[in-house]
Amino acid sequence: MDEIVNNTQQLHSYLKQMIIETLKLEEISQDDIDDDAPLFKDGLGLDSIDALELVVAIENIFNVVIEDEDVGKQAFASIRSLAVFIQAAYGSHQRSLSAAG
Amino acid sequence: MKWLDTEETVRFNEVDTYGIAWYGHYIAWFDVGRMALLKEFNLRPQDMISLGYMAPVVDLKCTYKHPARCGDVVLIRTTVVKPEIAALIFRFEINREPDRTLLARGETTQVLMTVENKMLYRLQGELKQRVETMLAHFSG
Repeated sequence: MDEIVNNTQQLHSYLKQMIIETLKLEEISQDDIDDDAPLFKDGLGLDSIDALELVVAIENIFNVVIEDEDVGKQAFASIRSLAVFIQAAYGSHQRSLSAAG
Repeated sequence: MKWLDTEETVRFNEVDTYGIAWYGHYIAWFDVGRMALLKEFNLRPQDMISLGYMAPVVDLKCTYKHPARCGDVVLIRTTVVKPEIAALIFRFEINREPDRTLLARGETTQVLMTVENKMLYRLQGELKQRVETMLAHFSG
């Protein structure tokens, strides 16, 4: 997972696939999701339940917590923002793990 | 799976031109069941508000199997399922007494928000405690 998180291009692609699979967006492919398009409302058009599903998926996969809607609004602004958010949070999580170890 | 049961009698003003209970009333019956269940765990809408939260319904499903007629006694069975996400999911069965013919099945999903309209991604504090008590009761 470290390798994917540290490679922004790979992470973008991974996140797109994660969204497609988690939300069962069968008619959408990775190419249909723009790195900078909003994930909610006029972008991919995701709704509140979709947000909750993604929060759980991100926590399970990256061990990164999106606390509430305030954090979520920034994180879910686009694929690019989500990648930036995960890279920052994942990094600090790994550091705290090695500090504890 | 445990259920909480309540009863209603189909009223004259609840039947449609076909002489059967209008489909929309089933949703009101779901609410009768949900309110009775929520009351047991101090999670009624007024309790939610006093804790600083709201739980609006964002999804509703209802499948109809058999009709109900004026004067029929309907048994409303309600349960709650443990969701993976921060939401409340209730399931319902409407049966006709006394033979318990299944009339309809349904499900509602509610998200949780603060009274300031901010969505919760995880439950906390007193709300979490009450919801967990409710879930434990129905999963046991």
